[in-house]
Amino acid sequence: MKRGLALTLALALLLVSGLGAATFAVAEDDFSQEVTIKWMLEGSNVTDDTAVIEAVNAYLKEKINAKLQVIWGTWGDFDQNVVNSINGGDDIDIYFTCSWTSNEYSAYANKGAYVRLDDPENNLLEQYAPGLFDVLPAVLADAAAVEGADGVGVYGIPGYKEVAQEYTWDINTPLLEELGYTVDDIGSYYDLGPILQKAKELKGADFYPLNIEGGVLVRIALNADVVDSNLVLVYPFDPEHPSQSGTEIKSLLELPEFAEFAKKTREYYLAGYINPVMATADAASSARTDAQLTGQYLIGTQVYSPGYDAQASQERGFQVTFKPTHKPIISTTSARGAMMAISTSSKNPERALAFLNLLNTDPTLFTLIAYGVEGVHYNLTDDGKVEFTDKRADYQPWRNGLGNITQLPLTVDDDPQIWEKFAEFNDAEGVPILGFALNQEPIQNEMAALANISKEYLDGLCVGVVDPDVVLPEAIEKLKANGIDKVVAEANAQVQAFLDAKGE
Amino acid sequence: MQHSIRRYGKNVKLSGLSFGAEAAFHLILGLFSIACVVPFIFVIIISFSAESSLRTVGFSFMPNLWSVESYQYVFRWGDQLWRSYFNSFFITAAGTVISVLICILYSYSLFRRDFKLRKFFTFLSFITMMFGGGLVPTYMVCKNILGLNDNYAAMIVPLLVSPFLFIVMRTFFSSTVPEALIESAAIDGSGEYRTLFQIIVPISKPGIATVALLNALAYWNEWFIAMLYIRSAKYIPLQYLLMKMQNQVDFLAKNSALIGAEAANIVASTPKENLRMALVVFIVAPIACAYPFFQRYIVSGLTIGSVKG
Repeated sequence: MKRGLALTLALALLLVSGLGAATFAVAEDDFSQEVTIKWMLEGSNVTDDTAVIEAVNAYLKEKINAKLQVIWGTWGDFDQNVVNSINGGDDIDIYFTCSWTSNEYSAYANKGAYVRLDDPENNLLEQYAPGLFDVLPAVLADAAAVEGADGVGVYGIPGYKEVAQEYTWDINTPLLEELGYTVDDIGSYYDLGPILQKAKELKGADFYPLNIEGGVLVRIALNADVVDSNLVLVYPFDPEHPSQSGTEIKSLLELPEFAEFAKKTREYYLAGYINPVMATADAASSARTDAQLTGQYLIGTQVYSPGYDAQASQERGFQVTFKPTHKPIISTTSARGAMMAISTSSKNPERALAFLNLLNTDPTLFTLIAYGVEGVHYNLTDDGKVEFTDKRADYQPWRNGLGNITQLPLTVDDDPQIWEKFAEFNDAEGVPILGFALNQEPIQNEMAALANISKEYLDGLCVGVVDPDVVLPEAIEKLKANGIDKVVAEANAQVQAFLDAKGE
Repeated sequence: MQHSIRRYGKNVKLSGLSFGAEAAFHLILGLFSIACVVPFIFVIIISFSAESSLRTVGFSFMPNLWSVESYQYVFRWGDQLWRSYFNSFFITAAGTVISVLICILYSYSLFRRDFKLRKFFTFLSFITMMFGGGLVPTYMVCKNILGLNDNYAAMIVPLLVSPFLFIVMRTFFSSTVPEALIESAAIDGSGEYRTLFQIIVPISKPGIATVALLNALAYWNEWFIAMLYIRSAKYIPLQYLLMKMQNQVDFLAKNSALIGAEAANIVASTPKENLRMALVVFIVAPIACAYPFFQRYIVSGLTIGSVKG
């Protein structure tokens, strides 16, 4: 009994002292002590970072008295690892976050996983990153504001990459000209029939002129943006005037336009314009790349980014033209495409923010992290362009997932006008619901069931391997049975609440 | 071995099956074995196919161009592969030795009737088999309390204790080791450890081999634990290396539209099918080679418990 009491007392003491320490830690950071910043990233391909980290540490020591340790997440692993790390309270300071990973920005800000950076009582942004938002477009700052655990505010630093989003046709130009057409003849998806037929006649039965990704094709044909990653819900926008789009979220499969699209796709499929393998996600990606590299296609679907046409032409060895199907839009998905958030488990949020500030405003540091060490991973040509060496193979972070990429020097493969094009592209119209992200928590169970239905039917319908007259009614019936109406109502109620809050 | 006996002037087969039934069983089992082996052969064929062949005809038993390019690539790739190979071997060897030792010690104690806490410890190990802590609590305990984080221990410790194998081993002891043997050893003045390691262990080789093989397989094939606790490329085992590539390819296939134009670049730089299949060959070969050595023990280990005098 006595021992039990002693134990309880000891525990209580420990707890109190622990709390005491925690309160002291809130004091301002004067950078006098060296700390290590742990940083978890997405999509990297890095096997040897010693040289880079050495150089970064030497540089950071001088600037903010800190060391850097990077956890190079890879595609596919990051989603699993980051959730464990956050829920397990790992001592990682900065997490990559965005609108499409498992640690989705708004949801995790709401959970209290990220530090609010512009808290009126402790405004870290003003203290440790005063000029940071000045170098970023205003639209990014707007999109970064979200309702988190400590009120509406900024919980992450947006990366400055392509802010706008644009779907395009990816056209094999030499072949198109051989058929007697020009790029101007490519327009609506519904009018492609005769051109495709001619290509098929010329190239034979094994040739599939439409080299598509079903999920992108449907967005092109319907001018719709993603709301959830399984395309249960979509947001139709106005292709000519994105800022004048509606404010309603809809169920994709139930749209009358979708029925029309599925019918047309089925027609194209039966005519042999689409490779049946496109319906199986695992095989489709490499089949698509293969068709692109060998030029065995006429028209493909693509998500555009500035300079990509030049790069694709060079890579494939023939002229590739990208023809946008709508005006570029800025949506929540694109504006929150890559961000950095400071973890609430971080012991040094101040220093972490100082690091993020440096990362986004100091080209030396950013180039070092994105491209590696000069003389090791790359050499500079006489006109100041970056030419990568063989060592680059060991060190390839995902450039766009790091931060402000406009700080980077040109590489030898880059379009010389890339940053002008970039600025022009990013000067796009935002949709009215920019900044809105669906909170799936109240409709979790329904969404899970609906996602499965969508996975079951959507690929087949968007590629045309199944007959929409039979399958589409069946899919819609299943959606109804699993609560699609409730989900749509909830989503639109959330949109309305978002708009009301924004209007105030 | 004698397959038939003479009885009443006729040859009677020991198995008692008619020719037809026997042929049918052989056919079924033969088909089943083929179904098991064919995927492996297919993997090997793909690993020796040229990339251009995969691009034009897809997966095929008869690629139109054979090549060793994927193996050349693997060898050129160098450091990370050999590092991972070493990691996998090291983890498997160290893990198997330690876990077999633990298994022998634990199950021997459970087997001894004169051990007072026998029931309690049986229950203790059994309960971990029924209930898990859940992913996040397990992760927190392993990483933050036990420090299983970016080191070899992180991949060895979580698999050390296997209640299922304890039960297998205990059953094995109780069916092969007579109590009298332990008593007579004690009378002859043998201490507990000498009894266990010099008398019990040598006669339990088949059981130990079975447990060792199952442990070795578990360690060799484990990638999930590495995914949870390993962040540094230095400690990545071979399986996780392959899993990472596969995950990457799957992820990009499903999300390329979200990542945008860069996804195409990344897809172009990820290893192709033939390379991944070459890695599978690298993973399967060592363990497939180890199997025959264990096999004779396993067969006797599985049957030895049954009817005996």
